[in-house]
Amino acid sequence: MRNIRMGRRNLPGRPVRLAAAAIVMATALAACGGGDDSGGGGGDAEASGPKAPATVPELTDDPLTLKFIWFEWPPAQALEDFANAEYTKDRPNVTIEVNTVPNANWHDAMFTQFAARQTDFDVAILDSQHIGEAVTNGNILDITDFVNENIDVDAYDPYLLAAYGQYPQAETGQRDENASMYGLPLLGDTWTMIYRKDLIGEEPPETWDEMIAAAQKCQDENPGVSGLAFHQANGSDAAAVTYNTVNGVYGGNLWESADKQIEGVINDDAGQKAMDVLVNEMKPLTAKGSGNWFIDEVNAAVAQGKACIAFQWIAASGGLLDPEQSTLGSTPEEIESKLGFATLPTQDTDFVPLGGMGMHISAYASDEAQAEALNFMKWFEQADVQKKWAAAGGVPSRTDALESSEFLDAGPFSQVYADSVSRLRDMWNVPEYARLIDIENTNVNAALNGAKDPEEALDDIATEQQEVLDSGGGGGL
Amino acid sequence: MSTTTDHPVQEASTTPPAPGRSRRLSDRGLAVAFISPAMLLLLAMSVFPLLWALYLSFTDYSATRDVPANFVGLQNYIDILTSAQVRQRALTTLIYVIGAVTLQTVLGFAIAYLISRRTHGRGVLTTLFLVPMMLSPVVVGLFWRFMLDAQFGVINSMLGSLGFGQVEWLTRQRTALLSLIVVDTWQWTPFIMLIALAGLTAVPKYLYEAASIDRASEWFRFRNITLPLVWPLLLIAVMFRAIEAFRLFDLVYILTSGGPGVSTETLSFHVYKVAFLGFNTGVASAYGILMVLVVIVLAQLYLRYLNKLKEG
Repeated sequence: MRNIRMGRRNLPGRPVRLAAAAIVMATALAACGGGDDSGGGGGDAEASGPKAPATVPELTDDPLTLKFIWFEWPPAQALEDFANAEYTKDRPNVTIEVNTVPNANWHDAMFTQFAARQTDFDVAILDSQHIGEAVTNGNILDITDFVNENIDVDAYDPYLLAAYGQYPQAETGQRDENASMYGLPLLGDTWTMIYRKDLIGEEPPETWDEMIAAAQKCQDENPGVSGLAFHQANGSDAAAVTYNTVNGVYGGNLWESADKQIEGVINDDAGQKAMDVLVNEMKPLTAKGSGNWFIDEVNAAVAQGKACIAFQWIAASGGLLDPEQSTLGSTPEEIESKLGFATLPTQDTDFVPLGGMGMHISAYASDEAQAEALNFMKWFEQADVQKKWAAAGGVPSRTDALESSEFLDAGPFSQVYADSVSRLRDMWNVPEYARLIDIENTNVNAALNGAKDPEEALDDIATEQQEVLDSGGGGGL
Repeated sequence: MSTTTDHPVQEASTTPPAPGRSRRLSDRGLAVAFISPAMLLLLAMSVFPLLWALYLSFTDYSATRDVPANFVGLQNYIDILTSAQVRQRALTTLIYVIGAVTLQTVLGFAIAYLISRRTHGRGVLTTLFLVPMMLSPVVVGLFWRFMLDAQFGVINSMLGSLGFGQVEWLTRQRTALLSLIVVDTWQWTPFIMLIALAGLTAVPKYLYEAASIDRASEWFRFRNITLPLVWPLLLIAVMFRAIEAFRLFDLVYILTSGGPGVSTETLSFHVYKVAFLGFNTGVASAYGILMVLVVIVLAQLYLRYLNKLKEG
């Protein structure tokens, strides 16, 4: 026993404990310091990121990899292939790398790195609604001066420039000449209506009511084929975009942006009508168990001939004409003889959802990478490059490229996009976007799957979203 | 205690240091030097994040917003404990934990009991049963998602061939939670089985022989010999599984995303949303601390019961 005590006395117990406590305290203090470091961001809630220079800085001649981050879908590979084939003609020392994550992780993958004030990407491809969150936190460069100096803004539909780059979002949704720019268009997109020409006829339905009637008739006449297929999942923005689209078509509004009012707006009569149409008229025409369908599942249903009418993002529709992925034909022409692509039917209004994304430069990228990213943007937004991008499978944003034969001949959905540009409507691009979309997604998904009464779901969306906006995004569950 | 003085280690400390070894580095110093890296790693990776989360839980800090943290006292804890949303997720988690762990325990023990009675092919059978446990939960979630798909899944296809209708496994309130329980059970029953098998193997043979001499029935032997001896070990396995199930995230994320609506959102999944969708780091930290506390308190109560059982 004595020896044990001796041993204990010899143990540096107190010093060890004190040292451990000191290390913990020191680490905590260091971390506190790190947490307060703006790291390139601004200093308050309304702050924006650092300003990019008006002209492209001197570029490095050393080998450089310009890293993008996007989610996993065909346009990501198309961009990497296109940029490495074309951009490297001007800049042979540069390699373009488009890193992808699953769609559901896209927001988290970017914003957790932004939160750490350190990114493994140089260019973030943000959804238009992510801009507010990134700008407010100082995560992306303010490129207003650069745009004014290097980009022919008159070559674009003003709404596209506003949607993919401007913050704050203009009340009208249109471009505000005095607002700051934080990004430039990379890929335009909207929904297309895909319909079975061999089952419902060559001409697509023109109104939403006609579309539902045609789907019903087609389903009744073709056992095993469901009338409709659309996004209903509660991940990403799937179910929410579906509701927003129907809401827009039936004359509803998501909010009144001027006074940030959602309660009483989204759940007004038009909103309730839209929810009723979606849950009680459209949902019964979908396949059983389709309540968790998103892009891939809708494409699978169309490709396997299991849906009369489907709604899909144009940028995700390319594979539908691939005979290897389809049971509708052994050649693209044969498939095209059965599948039609049209702009969305109208009803009380003709709104269609805005998709697509812009390019935004990380505030935490190296100086060389930021300079290269600016140069890439300048190169990418040229008229001839936009046309080549269209030919490579991308959806350009410049009006001249949209009207070019390179784009219009690229696929049957190109004309759909060109016709839809004047009808686009976006969601909120406020910093609280991620929470707003989650509230809407879960409630619409619940209504679609019978977990909640549709009217109650819409009222819950209004109440919960209003709470988030009123709290300024801070706190809350 | 006299043996302590004769301990070879103690003797070794009196011998002169080996050639080349620093005279200033005592055995104790050497021990501290060896332990320090591990201790520092533990402090940096576990202790510090826990203390930091504890600190953040009393603030309104957000990891993405460029504003300093403000002290808000117990407000985050009050918000969580009074939230109807949290109560709903807690109930979902509770149903899931009870359902999954009960099913796994019954099945795991039954399989272990059957395997223990075999003399041939025991090793092969045990290994085969362990395969699901060795897979990543994300992989398990993905292939079960395909299997449970209402339209294209193999489960509905099999049910269809037996004359049953299509079941919406992942998109209906009742079946979605059941599907999560079934998938978790498929993956983790082998864990209970393994521990139960270890317990069953350790039961002394002579007890069964004595019972046989007394012409005890199979049920009597199971109830009075097998179960009492395996029970403490089984309870430890149940505790581990319950803690694991309590913090379920991956399967929910892959299989249902918490849907339909929020009907399969567990507490861990909700914390994830608070932390990474809203980036309300302070609230998420308080949420996490409360979950740790719940696990610690329940585990302590459980361990006390186990100790009493052992003493009894």
